[in-house]
Amino acid sequence: MPGFEYVQAEDVPGAVAIVSRDPGASFLAGGTTLLDLMLKDGVIAPGRVVDIGRLPLRGITRRDDFLLVGTLTTMEELAAYPTVAERAPFVRDALLAGASTQLRNMATIGGNLLQRTRCRYFRDLAVAACNKRTPGSGCAAVTGPARMHAILGASEHCIALHASDLCVPLVALDAVVYIQGVGGQRTVPLTDFYVLPSDRPEVENVLEHGELVTQVEIPLLPAGARSGYLKVRDRASYEFALTSAAAALMIEEGTIAMARLALGGVGTIPWRAREAEAILEGKPANDQTFRAAADAAIRDAFTVPGTAFKVELAKRTIARVLQTVAGLRS
Amino acid sequence: MRALSAPTVLGEPIDRVDGPLKVTGAAPYPSDIAYPDLVHAVLVQSTIGAGTMTAIHAEAAEAASGVLAVITYQNAPALAPAPMTGLGPSLPLPFRDNRVFHHGQHVAIVVAQTQEQAVAAARLLEIDYVQEAAVLGLDNPRAEVLHNPWQADLRRGDPAAALASAEVVVDETYTIAAETNNPLGLFATVASWEGDRLTVHDSTQWPVMERQTLATVFDIPESAVRVLSPYLGGGFGAGLRVYPHVILTALAARVVGRPVKLVLARPQMFTSVGHRPETQQRMKLGALQDGRLVAIDHGCTSALGIEGTNFGRVTVVTPPSYDCPNVATHDHQVRLNIPNPGYMRGPGKTEGNFALESALDELSYKLRIDPIELRLRNFAHVHPQSGLPWSSNALQECYRVGAERFGWSKRSPEIGSMREGHWLIGYGMAGVTFELYQPPCEVRVSIHRDGSAYVRSAATDIGTGTYTIAAQLAAELLGLEVGQVHVEIGDSDLPTAPQSGGSGLATSLGGAIVDAAGNLLRAFLKTVADDDRSPLQGMTAEGVAVTNGRIAAIEDSSVGETYFDILERHKLDELSAGGEYNPSAGAPGIAGPAAFAARFAEVHIDPELGLLRIARFVTVVDGGRILNAKTARSQIIGATVMGIGMTLLEETVIDSATGRIANATFGDYLIPVNADVPVLDVVFVGKPDELSPVGSKGLGEIGTVGVSAAIANAVYHATGRRIRTLPITIDKLL
Amino acid sequence: MRTIPSDEVTVVLHVNGRARQLQLDSRVTLLDALRDHLDLVGTKKGCDQGACGACTVLLDGKRVLSCLRLAAQCDGREVMTIEGLARDGRLHPLQEAFIRHDGFQCGYCTPGQIMSAVALLEEGRATSDEEIREFMSGNLCRCGAYPNIAAAIREVAALRRK
Repeated sequence: MPGFEYVQAEDVPGAVAIVSRDPGASFLAGGTTLLDLMLKDGVIAPGRVVDIGRLPLRGITRRDDFLLVGTLTTMEELAAYPTVAERAPFVRDALLAGASTQLRNMATIGGNLLQRTRCRYFRDLAVAACNKRTPGSGCAAVTGPARMHAILGASEHCIALHASDLCVPLVALDAVVYIQGVGGQRTVPLTDFYVLPSDRPEVENVLEHGELVTQVEIPLLPAGARSGYLKVRDRASYEFALTSAAAALMIEEGTIAMARLALGGVGTIPWRAREAEAILEGKPANDQTFRAAADAAIRDAFTVPGTAFKVELAKRTIARVLQTVAGLRS
Repeated sequence: MRALSAPTVLGEPIDRVDGPLKVTGAAPYPSDIAYPDLVHAVLVQSTIGAGTMTAIHAEAAEAASGVLAVITYQNAPALAPAPMTGLGPSLPLPFRDNRVFHHGQHVAIVVAQTQEQAVAAARLLEIDYVQEAAVLGLDNPRAEVLHNPWQADLRRGDPAAALASAEVVVDETYTIAAETNNPLGLFATVASWEGDRLTVHDSTQWPVMERQTLATVFDIPESAVRVLSPYLGGGFGAGLRVYPHVILTALAARVVGRPVKLVLARPQMFTSVGHRPETQQRMKLGALQDGRLVAIDHGCTSALGIEGTNFGRVTVVTPPSYDCPNVATHDHQVRLNIPNPGYMRGPGKTEGNFALESALDELSYKLRIDPIELRLRNFAHVHPQSGLPWSSNALQECYRVGAERFGWSKRSPEIGSMREGHWLIGYGMAGVTFELYQPPCEVRVSIHRDGSAYVRSAATDIGTGTYTIAAQLAAELLGLEVGQVHVEIGDSDLPTAPQSGGSGLATSLGGAIVDAAGNLLRAFLKTVADDDRSPLQGMTAEGVAVTNGRIAAIEDSSVGETYFDILERHKLDELSAGGEYNPSAGAPGIAGPAAFAARFAEVHIDPELGLLRIARFVTVVDGGRILNAKTARSQIIGATVMGIGMTLLEETVIDSATGRIANATFGDYLIPVNADVPVLDVVFVGKPDELSPVGSKGLGEIGTVGVSAAIANAVYHATGRRIRTLPITIDKLL
Repeated sequence: MRTIPSDEVTVVLHVNGRARQLQLDSRVTLLDALRDHLDLVGTKKGCDQGACGACTVLLDGKRVLSCLRLAAQCDGREVMTIEGLARDGRLHPLQEAFIRHDGFQCGYCTPGQIMSAVALLEEGRATSDEEIREFMSGNLCRCGAYPNIAAAIREVAALRRK
C-alpha cells in the first residue's frame, strides 16, 4: 500500500468537499473494512484518507415510530439502545450476531451499510479475474471453490456476497439512508440503496463519489409485531452467515396481518423477500404457509457447486425463523 | 537423590512457572525481538500453481522509498545443499531457479527500513510467468504416485484370505480435508550476522536442528550459529522443519548487512510452514459374528508436494490397535502442485484413527454389538505385531472409566432414538492406541550458592509446559522448592535436545534430568569425599536422600548438610552436572511405550438446519506418569479443541484449477472459538511406564486422536448418517 | 480543516496513563505503533485482519482491535494495553485467574484474551458460561485453552458480584 495523506475532517461539508473533488480520496470511519482492504489486502489504494471519526454524526435520536441513527454510531451502541431491544429486537439480534464485541465497538452503522464483500477472490491480488475489482476481467469465484457466496442477484459476472447481518432486518424495516453531497442532502430507501451487480459489479450502491451517509432512519415495528433473526453458520459464533433470515410478523387470530422478510448470506445485496411477504400476508400462520413463502423467496437462484446447498438451507432458515417468530417453535 | 516412587512435587497441578510472563505480555516471542538497526522483510509469493518465471521487473520495487534489497533467484547468493535431519531430508532450498511448483511459493524477499515500506514495495514487484497446468487432486491421473514411500508397509497373516472368509465385512473410504496448523503466533524470524556468526530468533520447535540446517546451507560451522526460541506462539508441528522463509531471512540479513525481521502474514502461514495433507483411506475390516476381528486391510493415499518428502504414515495406527491375526497396511503419496505438507499435531495417526475407529463403529452396528464391547472383545493383551507384553496398557480401564463418567449406559442403541426438543442427540466413542518414540536428550543441571538451581537444555516449550515440568522434576529430584529452579531452554547453545514434537520431549528431557540430578548429587558427594568437616564424607549417592536443599543419610537424617554449606565451605559458586537420556538402550522383550485413550462425544444435531454442536466430551487417557496434572489436562483439552476443529470446521481449500488456497485467512478458514467448546472432561488412568526413568508416555498429540471418530460416530447414532468425509459441515447434514 | 501534509502524521497517544508523542508514517496502525514505536510488544499480531483478537486493547475503555485502526485515528485518546494492567507490581485479578486456571498454553493470544476479558467484565457480560463463551468468541486460541479461559473469567466475575 503506497503512502497516503491522512486528513482529519472538521465538519461534514468540508469532508464531503475534499472527497468529492479528489477521485483518489476516501472517507474513513470505523476502518474495519477500509483499512483491511487498503493496508492488508492491498486491493484499494486511496491517496488521501479523510477521517470523519470526530464529526458530530454519532448518536441515536428517538422519534415516534423510528430512530435516527448517526452514521458514526457503533454497532455496539445501537445494540445497547433500549428502544432497539423493545421495538426492533431483530436489529439487536443481528448486530450481536454480526461481529465480535471488539469489532462492534469499532464498526459504525454507516460503515456496516457500506461494507465490502468478503469474497476472497475480490480481496486477493493474486486473483486476476474479478469484475468488481477490475471491471471486465471476469469472475474467478464462479469457477473456483466458493461457499461463502451469493445465490440471489448473482450471475456469471459476480457472486460476491453482501455479508452484513444488520442490513437484513434494516431492509425488512424499510430503513432510509440520509446522504450528504456537495449539492445538498437526499434520502434513499435502503431497499433502493444497493445496486444489483448485473454486468457492472464494481457499482454497489447509488452513492456518487464524495457523497457521505450521515444518518440512517430505522422504523420501529408496530406494537404487537414480533420479530426474529436467525443466522445459520458452521461455527457457533464469529462467522459470517451461510444463510440468515430476518422476519417480523403481526398475527391476528391466527392470520398473518403483516409480514416482513429479508435474507442474508444469500444475496449480492441485502435481500428483501417481497414475494414471500405477499404469500404470507392474509394467510394462516402455519408450516404450510411458511414453506410456501420460503419457496417463493428462493426463486431463480444462481448457484455454483459450492453454493448449491444454500437453496435448501435458505428455505429451511426462512421456515424456521417464521415458525419461531410465530411462536410455533422455540 | 530422591526416588520418584512417592513424589511430592512431581505430578502436582502447580501453576505454569512461565505464567506471570505470559499474562503480563512480557514473554519474548520471536516477533517481539528488536535490534537498534533492525530492518524489515516481506515475502513475495507466486501467483501461479506451476510453471516458470520468465521475467522479474524489480526496478519499481527497488526504487521505492526505504527499500534496501529485492532478492530473487536471479541475484540471491548461492546456498550449499541442505542436510539430512533427524526427521529426514531437508526441504528443497528456495530461490534455486525460475521454476514454480505451487501457488504461494516464495519468489522474492523485499527488505526495507520499515514494515510499511517493505509491504508497499513488495506490491510493486511484477513477475512474468509461463503457466503450466497444475497437477492437483488426489485422483489426478497425471500425478506421480509414490507407493510404500517409507518402506514401512506391513503385513501379518493373510488378510486377503481372511477378508474373503469373514462373516461380516466393512469396506469403506474415508477422506479428510487438508488442514493448516495456524498457530496464533505468526511465524517470525529475526536474523543477525556478526561477521560469519549468525544469530536467529525463530518460531522453531527444534533449535538444534535449525542450527544444523543453517550452518550447512550457509557453509559455516555449527558453533557459529545460535538459534533462539525461548517462546513461540504455538506450532503444532509447523516449527518442526526449517522452512524456506527462515533461510531467506538469514540470507537477506547477510545481503543488507543488518539484522532483518520477517513476520509471515496470516495468509502466508497457509503456504509457508506445512499443513496436514489431504488423505483418502480405504479401510476393510473382516469379522466374525461374535465380533472378533479376523482381518484389517488399511490403505491410505495422501498428498505431497512436487518436490521434497514428508514423513507422515497414516496406516501406522492400525497394526498395534487390535488383536487381529491378519493385517495389511499400504501407504501412498501423490505428488501435486501444492505447498509442501508437513506435520500437524498427531500427524498420520490422527487421520488413521478416524478411519479405523469409524469403521469399527460401522461394524458394531452391523453386528449389533455395543461399540465398547466390540473393542473389548478385540483388546490386544499383548502387542499384536510383536507378541511382546506391553510396558503398560490401561486401555481397558480407559473404556471402563470413560463409560462411567460419560454415562454410556444411558445410551439407547437405536439410531435417532434420543432427542431434546428439535435436537437429535447422539453418543459416540472411539479408542486410541498411540505408539511413542523417545529421542535422545541432554541437559545440564546446576545448584548455586545463592540457593538457585538451573536446568538448561536446547529444548522448547511451545505451550506444552516444558518449563514447568522441568522445574518440578528437578525440584523433586534435588529436594528443592520449584521456585528455586530456573529453567533455561530454547537456545541451541544449550545441551542438545530433541524437538517439541512426536510427544517425546517430556519423557526424554525428563530422563536426562534424572540422569543429571544423579550426577549432580554425586558431584556434591565427591566434593566432600575428602572433606573432614562434612558429615557426608565417604557417603555414596545410594546412601543419601535430599530434602529442603539438604543432603542427608537415609539411615539417619540428622547426618547431613545443605548444598549451600558445601558450596560455601569449598568456595564454590556452583556445582553442575550434565545428564543424558539415550533410549536406544531400551529394555528387550517389552513392547511400547504406547499411550492409550478412550474418547466419548455427545452431539446435538438440528437436522433441518444441519447444525452440529458438541454438548460434552469425555476423555480418559493412560499417559503413564502425569508430570503436572494441570498442564497435562490442558494438553488434552487443547488437543481436543483442535480435534473438534478438524471434525467440524477445518478445511484448507485448494483450488483444483489453480492450486491457490481459496480460504487463507482467519475469516475464511475457521478454527473453533470459545462458543464451540463445551466443558471437556479429562481423566488420567494408568501407572508410570517402566520404559523410561520418569515413566511418562507423552501427551502432546494423543488428545487430537479419536476426536473425529467419536464425533462422527455420535452423528451416526443421532441421525443415521455415516459421514466419512471431514469436516462435517452443515451442507453434509442437510 | 486541519491537514497534516505529506504521508506523515504527528500523534499523541495516552498509553497506560502516559502521553507519548510520535511522528509516524500515516500507514502505521495502532498495533504497529505500540509494538514498533513504543516498544510495547505485549499486544500481539495474530492475523492483522481483525479476525483473531490477539491485538485487543482498550481504547477509551472499550475493547477494540488495534490492527484495524490507524494510530492517527487515536490521536489524543486513551489506550490501555496488557502492560498497563498490573498495578504497583500486583497482577490484575484476571491475570492471576488465568494463571490459576491455566487459561493459556503458548501464551500468544493471552494478552488479547485478558484485555478482552477485562472489558467483558465491565460490559456486565459474564453472568453465565454461555454468555462468557459467546462474548469471548472474538479471541481465538489455537492451543484450545477455551474452557480454562472461561473458568478464569467465571471466577473473577463471581468474586466481583460478591
